[in-house]
Amino acid sequence: MVGGAITLPNVPMEWTWRQLATEPFWQALQEVGLSVADVDLVACAYNDRSIVDSSIGPQVADALGMIPKPVVITSSACAGNGVASYVAWNAIASGRCDIVVSLGFARSDNYDAMESMNSQGNYVDFDYLMGLTHINYGAIRDAYYRQKYGATLEDVARWVYQCHWYARRNPLAKAYGQPMPVLEDLAADTPEADRDRQATNRGGVASCMVFAGEEIARQLTDKPVVFDVAYAYRSPYIGEFFNFPVAGLREHDLAEFSGLKVAAQEAYAIAGITTDAIDVAQVHDLTAYEGFMAIEALGLCPFGEAKHFVRANEMALGGRCPVNTYGGGAAFGHGSVGCDFQAGVLENFWQLRAEAGERQVQDARVGVNSSYGTHHSLDVVGVVQRGW
Amino acid sequence: MSEQFPEFFVRLDTFSSAVWYRTKKARYRLEGTRCTACGEIFFPPRTGLICPHCHERAMEPYECAHTGEIVVTAPDDMGFPAWGYGDALPRYLVIVRLDDGIHVMADVIDVDDPDRVAAGARVQMVLRKHRREDTGAWVYGYRFVLV
Repeated sequence: MVGGAITLPNVPMEWTWRQLATEPFWQALQEVGLSVADVDLVACAYNDRSIVDSSIGPQVADALGMIPKPVVITSSACAGNGVASYVAWNAIASGRCDIVVSLGFARSDNYDAMESMNSQGNYVDFDYLMGLTHINYGAIRDAYYRQKYGATLEDVARWVYQCHWYARRNPLAKAYGQPMPVLEDLAADTPEADRDRQATNRGGVASCMVFAGEEIARQLTDKPVVFDVAYAYRSPYIGEFFNFPVAGLREHDLAEFSGLKVAAQEAYAIAGITTDAIDVAQVHDLTAYEGFMAIEALGLCPFGEAKHFVRANEMALGGRCPVNTYGGGAAFGHGSVGCDFQAGVLENFWQLRAEAGERQVQDARVGVNSSYGTHHSLDVVGVVQRGW
Repeated sequence: MSEQFPEFFVRLDTFSSAVWYRTKKARYRLEGTRCTACGEIFFPPRTGLICPHCHERAMEPYECAHTGEIVVTAPDDMGFPAWGYGDALPRYLVIVRLDDGIHVMADVIDVDDPDRVAAGARVQMVLRKHRREDTGAWVYGYRFVLV
């Protein structure tokens, strides 16, 4: 991996989805010193519930100036940009391509359709048609985690507070420049505090990462980063988070991100690391409880123990493993298919290269990040290591 | 609609009646499937699909238990009711572990005392109205009541 970019919050209303997708692509190529002609392939994730144009591959290729080269389109909800990076990884690893870009973009205001918006991520035939939305999914999963592991409102407030602390030191974060919230307010048992403990919407967003084979990467930068990625599925139906008859999944339930655990184990094996080696981690957390479940599945602490990890300030700078230095869902902002995976990779990329400013983790050498789509029926894990 | 905007101009995405037809057995009586090769049972049904456990393709209809126990509950009070359910708030959403081990997410209705909708409470499936579909016809499906 040699570079990447992400759009700032509050992108101009005038931008079409094509311009939005082009923005980070162009910016990253400029920074790396490449031209469009150097790129062999683009793997592009998009949000198929808001971009209703069918078969958008040619349209993206046209926008990026890539014609006649291939643009592989994927749609896997918020983790789609992680799947795009998986495609990019394989294109490089196979030896077929020298330079590949993974791209994600989300323009959720492009098409107003409440039914399709709400149904995303649910088993539509038996959840959405029965009046259960993805909002309900998240709420009941959080409730089950609380019931099983006993995390308090203060525990999750601490998570959100720390994310805000990092975001005040990340100019790319949505909460950058805003006043810090009050910890006690975040811990209140009120609808307002409940809302503040959840992710904020980043709106239109796009991000990209630029990959090259090892030899070419060393020509492009003196600080190339080695990137590995894995992803895993589990049943999209929420009832089947219990007792699903597949090894590695059956022993877990709704309070544990078992698919994420499977993906993490594969990613760590490919990268040749253990959890002890992880210096910094970023997770995709639409609620603080999801953050808890994610760091447990990544192996940063045992299942059910995230509250102790947070209470001991282990996710802060100087802690055992700083988490969400990019700002997390609450303060960086939820970017959906536009950036929810790549924002984590890019943050780790900058951390390893010591380009993270005031939120810099000292001597970070190994970074891990996770993202999910369709309510953790799809989990993606990325690992970055110094390549110099 | 109003005097200024007399036409119904909002366009909605809707699922077709054919989807409702295809799912009626499961919605009406919790019909799932059982793999005849390994015996695993599933809901939602996997009719014509491959078993994730033994990888055979040998599903047969299986009617799930109609009684069970609440595993977890979460009120639907977030302000984002599903289309057609706006008048039904607050809804008491639960995951139920049926007596045969299948888990389903649904809502508990006819609730007199919300405190009774809690983990461990016994429930029974009932067939009730859900909402009107795009044709105007009522859609029916499983819901649960406290026993």
